[in-house]
Amino acid sequence: MTVLERPRAVAPLVRDRRRWAWGLGAVALVLWSLAGTGALTGDVLNPAGLSQAGRFAAGAVHPDLSGDLLAVLGGAALVTVAYAALGAGLAVVLGALGAVAVARTTWGRRRLGWTLTRGALAVPRGLHEAVWGLLLVNVLGLDPWVGVLAIGIPYGAVTAKVFADLVDEVPRGGHDALRAAGASRSAAVLYGLLPPAAGGLLAYAFYRLECAVRSAVVLGLIGAGGLGNQLSLSFQSLRWPQVWTAVYAIALLCLLADVGGRAVRRRLAAPAQAPAGVLRRDRVLVGAVAGVLVLVGWSAWYLALDVRTLVGARAREQVGHVLAAAWPPAVDGELLRRVVALSVETLQMSVVAIAVALTGAVALSGVAAHPGPGAGPGRRVAGVAVRAVLLVLRAVPPPVWALVVLFVFLPGVLPGALALGLYTLGVLGRLTAEVVEELDPRPRAALDALGARPVGAWLVGTAPRAVGPTLAFALYRWEVAVRDSVLVGLLGAGGIGVLLSAETASFDWPAVATVLVAMVLLTLAVDLVSARARSAVR
Amino acid sequence: MRGPRVARSGGPVLAPPLTRRSFLGASGVALAAALTACGGRESPVSGSSSGRDTLTISAIPDQDPEVLARLYGAVADSASAALDLDVVYEPVTDYAAAVSLFRTGDLDLVWFGGLTGVQARLQTPGAVPVAQRDIDADFHSVFVVNTATGLAPAEDLGALAGLRFTYGSETSTSGRLMPAWFLQQAGVDPQGFPGGPGFSGSHDATLALVASGSYQAGVLNEQVWTSRQAEGTVDPAVVRYARTPGYHDYHWLLGPDAVQRLGEDLPDRVLAWLTGLPADDEVLELFGAGSFIPTGASAYDQIEEIGRDLGLVS
Repeated sequence: MTVLERPRAVAPLVRDRRRWAWGLGAVALVLWSLAGTGALTGDVLNPAGLSQAGRFAAGAVHPDLSGDLLAVLGGAALVTVAYAALGAGLAVVLGALGAVAVARTTWGRRRLGWTLTRGALAVPRGLHEAVWGLLLVNVLGLDPWVGVLAIGIPYGAVTAKVFADLVDEVPRGGHDALRAAGASRSAAVLYGLLPPAAGGLLAYAFYRLECAVRSAVVLGLIGAGGLGNQLSLSFQSLRWPQVWTAVYAIALLCLLADVGGRAVRRRLAAPAQAPAGVLRRDRVLVGAVAGVLVLVGWSAWYLALDVRTLVGARAREQVGHVLAAAWPPAVDGELLRRVVALSVETLQMSVVAIAVALTGAVALSGVAAHPGPGAGPGRRVAGVAVRAVLLVLRAVPPPVWALVVLFVFLPGVLPGALALGLYTLGVLGRLTAEVVEELDPRPRAALDALGARPVGAWLVGTAPRAVGPTLAFALYRWEVAVRDSVLVGLLGAGGIGVLLSAETASFDWPAVATVLVAMVLLTLAVDLVSARARSAVR
Repeated sequence: MRGPRVARSGGPVLAPPLTRRSFLGASGVALAAALTACGGRESPVSGSSSGRDTLTISAIPDQDPEVLARLYGAVADSASAALDLDVVYEPVTDYAAAVSLFRTGDLDLVWFGGLTGVQARLQTPGAVPVAQRDIDADFHSVFVVNTATGLAPAEDLGALAGLRFTYGSETSTSGRLMPAWFLQQAGVDPQGFPGGPGFSGSHDATLALVASGSYQAGVLNEQVWTSRQAEGTVDPAVVRYARTPGYHDYHWLLGPDAVQRLGEDLPDRVLAWLTGLPADDEVLELFGAGSFIPTGASAYDQIEEIGRDLGLVS
């Protein structure tokens, strides 16, 4: 083919009108949510509670470092690591199987089947890991499978969707050529689609592993063992120095997972250059994958997982007990009215939480990003400090934030929303900093070289290109925040989690079923809106 | 090893140090080995090896977990010696989980609160209440208020109706159920506090929240209140407002599986062990009890009735 490409005209800069609609809609949603949580009207602060919050903060400086506690936490950390590794491993296996079932490649033009299988994924995905944990405790009792499945099932559903999208979005030339040459469908997918998608799939698998560490902590809070369990024991009697020791242990685990996972993801994004003409496997990546496989194997051994528990008579009997008790779901008017009112409250909480987290993340992103080589010592110290704060924000589980915020705010939905916002800020702040780090540094450098002031250079050279990915991350975390709101609700800080906690405490299974259905519908609705909005900011 | 393979595309291929096939094979073998090697190992998260002669005990996470952990170490040793069984203590962090695990047979002998004991007994046919402490037949809760409310101790609960109010855990007998009932008796809607009542999650959290003033009033277990006062850890901003009349609370509940597994006389043996503890025994001291006394299902009829009334027993 020797057709010369005609010089293409530079695409004119047009404003996407959809973005205006989405922007105005978002502002209205935030204002409505702030009004709903009572942040705009009346007293919300309780300054008298500062001394109680101060006791919490003082624990940060004086964590309990006694040998006994450290030994207990060391053992608990191993359990948490094992849950995370096995949960993420199971999620990748389920995701790979599920991806086959929900990929467009599988369904081709049969849209109905594709839509239905995608919809089916919303059920496992719509329930938070902690909710899965609560349900599984009722079926499996005190068994390590509770922690593994509670992470593996919802993560598996998310992974299936992402894996399917990654495979669907790969250039299809190789696949089509193989099909045209007579290869079978599965062979064409295996050799034409999988290799180009492999990097993305592996990067996402490692990202899941990073997230699984935080989920494993949360599962401890509902009694599945590990660091979260120890934290929750100290938290119930408000022993802040001990709580902080557990928080630092969690922060350390998160840090290790983040650093390791990010190193692998960066390596995949910018592979090491091999000598020309030589195909060579990247030893670092092979080592990382082998390391994770060994970790998964060790975890299965350490937790003494027994597959027979899952298929045993007792598990079947207990599933039967719970299903029989929960069917049919309760539909009385008063319950439904409460479910609707609390769903609205949950939505408002999640919107306020994301607004708080996004504001904080944008304000901190410049400092939180790893500075370039020319940065001075002050800038480096500030960067380390901000990153450490973000790490602690996401290492303290949302229920603990809920109680601490409740000391200085009057009861209501707002403290729950703020607690969720602080936790989300920890995660979103890091993602936003990564966005800034991964931008092309040249426009900013050019402005600096021309003598622009730092603020101006940031506003003109950095910010405009960071907006799209940052908003996309914020929307994605909004979906997560709706699910996470259950966590603060379980502690009574508002939202539909409050109702779930009340109904599980009184073992009203039909009502529990209704609440779970409402949760799945709510998260499904938020996912749909968020996906539309993300496609507009892309 | 085969020789260098023909390249699928492009230039020559150096044989990688590890072929894909051997990599996948080796990792598959390693995983399978790990999964099969589990047999016989005890999991760190479910200590009970469900052996024939093992009795698993636990407690609702009602008070100081460190004390509970110490306490159940002592209880496990004492029970093990007296009953001639392996006794394992299994900590639980959630009231509802304790009830569910008792139903599934993971826990054999559990120190339940009044309401959780009723819930567990209704869900587990054949479970029997064995013993309670001398103080449990006449247990009390205390209503506390923040000093900023200016309320002086009184008997009239009506004054609490207009305050921001928090209970403890949802299914706590002393932190929720009985106080709610006494409020109702005094003409106060137990769910009708401004903004709805809070559920702090624990007696200590109730104290801290009332001390902060976020909630102006709350209610907790009298035993916890007394012990925190003795320790001197109660914030001066919190004062006692009223004390409830007495009611039946905590008790030991024994599950049917254990009786089946360890003998029909197990309830009697457990009772004999508990009531036979000498007055200076460490177990009694840690439980804050003078002695254990026999109890029966009928002692908790009132709790069951109130639980149904408040929608906590279904």
